[in-house]
Amino acid sequence: MSNIRYANMCHWKAIPYRKIDNFREFYYEDKTNSAYYSDWDNILKYQSALGFEGIEIAPWDLADIVPLFGSPRNFAEFAKDRGVQVIGMFHGAHASHAADHFDEAVRAGREAVDTIVQFGGTYMNTCPTQNYYGTGPLSREEVQQCAKVMNEIGLYATDHGVKIGLHNEFFCAINLPNHRELIESTDPKLVHYCIDTAQIAILGEDLLKFYDDYHDRISTFHLKDTASANQPDAVRYAQDPEIADDGTRWFWEPGQGELDLQGLYRLLKQHAFQGWISIEYDGSPDLLASMAMTRYFLDKELRPIYD
Amino acid sequence: MYAENIAISLDLINRHYQEPNRNRYESRYFWEELYTLIAASGFSTIEIPYEPVWQFGGRSGVPFNRYCVNTKYGDATNYRALLAASGISQVSGVTFDPNLFMRNANLDFYFGATGHFAKEAVGHAADLGARYFAISPSPFHGRVAQYHPDIENDLESFTARTVTLLTDLATTAAERGVDLVLRNEYWSLFRGERILALADMLPETVKLDIDTANLFIAGIPAEAFIEAQIGRIGCVHLTDTDFVDTQSVWKSANPEFPSERATQVFRDPGTGSVDLTGIMTLLDKLDYRGAVTCSARQTRDPFRALLRTRILLNQLHK
Repeated sequence: MSNIRYANMCHWKAIPYRKIDNFREFYYEDKTNSAYYSDWDNILKYQSALGFEGIEIAPWDLADIVPLFGSPRNFAEFAKDRGVQVIGMFHGAHASHAADHFDEAVRAGREAVDTIVQFGGTYMNTCPTQNYYGTGPLSREEVQQCAKVMNEIGLYATDHGVKIGLHNEFFCAINLPNHRELIESTDPKLVHYCIDTAQIAILGEDLLKFYDDYHDRISTFHLKDTASANQPDAVRYAQDPEIADDGTRWFWEPGQGELDLQGLYRLLKQHAFQGWISIEYDGSPDLLASMAMTRYFLDKELRPIYD
Repeated sequence: MYAENIAISLDLINRHYQEPNRNRYESRYFWEELYTLIAASGFSTIEIPYEPVWQFGGRSGVPFNRYCVNTKYGDATNYRALLAASGISQVSGVTFDPNLFMRNANLDFYFGATGHFAKEAVGHAADLGARYFAISPSPFHGRVAQYHPDIENDLESFTARTVTLLTDLATTAAERGVDLVLRNEYWSLFRGERILALADMLPETVKLDIDTANLFIAGIPAEAFIEAQIGRIGCVHLTDTDFVDTQSVWKSANPEFPSERATQVFRDPGTGSVDLTGIMTLLDKLDYRGAVTCSARQTRDPFRALLRTRILLNQLHK
């Protein structure tokens, strides 16, 4: 049994079909590759064939997945039949820093946990609050309020068999000045951490030092590369920086950027990490190619270090 | 009818469904090049879908709502100047679809959010100088039924609230000098000829939007429908299809993607089975002077679709 199992964070846009039975006919309608990206049957088979046994879904997928499959459970069973399990769902804890939003933030977090349980998942990677622009800088009290919400959601999640992991984006109102303060203000028994390797590097954290410092808090990873570490405040605090106007990519497939992922794997071995790592391909023009490229890099460069 | 007055809808860009290279559609650079390509294919007028979804989560590169336009260009005036510099002289219309807000059992949420964002969209349409605001009067029937299984029994009250929402919107549209038109979609709670009963309950300023493929799919002869309703038509969408709904696909949760047999419901204009030439000839004969917009929704290749549509229009005006 491997110490690490691999999943994909779902960055597929809406997939309109469960299964296309008339695949050849559909292809011939316009002779393009649309047919290859239009049903979950094939998307999940691509994942399975490339050795990604898990999928982490996003809350914005629900509006399409639930009507298409009828229920989260039906989707989970459909995926399981193709060798893929739903490991969890991302969650954005909007306005959790605002004291007057406490009840709503906790309610939304608990609902997300309930949804994950319906999918059979056990992870809820959670962005602690909204973007910096229009919100930051947060006061010390607001950071503590954020921590209070995370602890409350974490308690409910733990009681329901779900681990919440803080997941920081480089443009979040929780940012370099208070990133560690938030982590250290939460209860380690209830609130874990999902390292998004590229996001925290862009934020200004040293990936290897951060993992070394917090290895006992880490529940899972979003593994991706970047060539844009240590961005200045002017970028991180700008309005809507995630999608660059000129098409510049913040995120790359593992091995296509500049992060020391081999160094990270040596640390994973040192700390005997066990669990899921989700690969993220946000920004990729071709998710299937990214998945295959990543599988090669994992097998040739990372798994020989620690598996 | 002059071909240069016919608009192309930006709904030819697939924002929501997976395909290779789709990610570029979320960046500003893509759209700013697209405008020049649209102009190069002979269109100087565009229609813009209004999609509040791009306001949430910081994806303001898609210029489909007021927040995004203001974020990238400061205001609608600057955006119009950018369009003009790219060869697009006019935004003919703005469309609005409330499916985003049909996501739970709370109808107060649906009507509240739809009313709020539709009113904002009308204001944005006016700021863009648009002639019409085309609204889908209901979400997909199947999406409504997902969260409201008794919708057929509750149709009267749903209709009454829809009438209230649209009447209020009509007032705003009239104040801003924009024509409010009702889209007639085969998946709607007000599909086919039901749209007429809804229109009858609304102020006379509210007109119909004829969508040729939607009529074809619903099995309604477009020519007869247009002739009968010519006095209340405010917009015509030239859309094409090979699909006829014989299996009640209109009832399904995602009726643009028939689940029993996958097919591209909407074809690039001129490549399907709708007699678009005949319909345009009829509109000329009836002296129709309203807006005409071509839509290549669901196209597999937007740049090919632009040129295919241009081929169609060139044939119409030989």
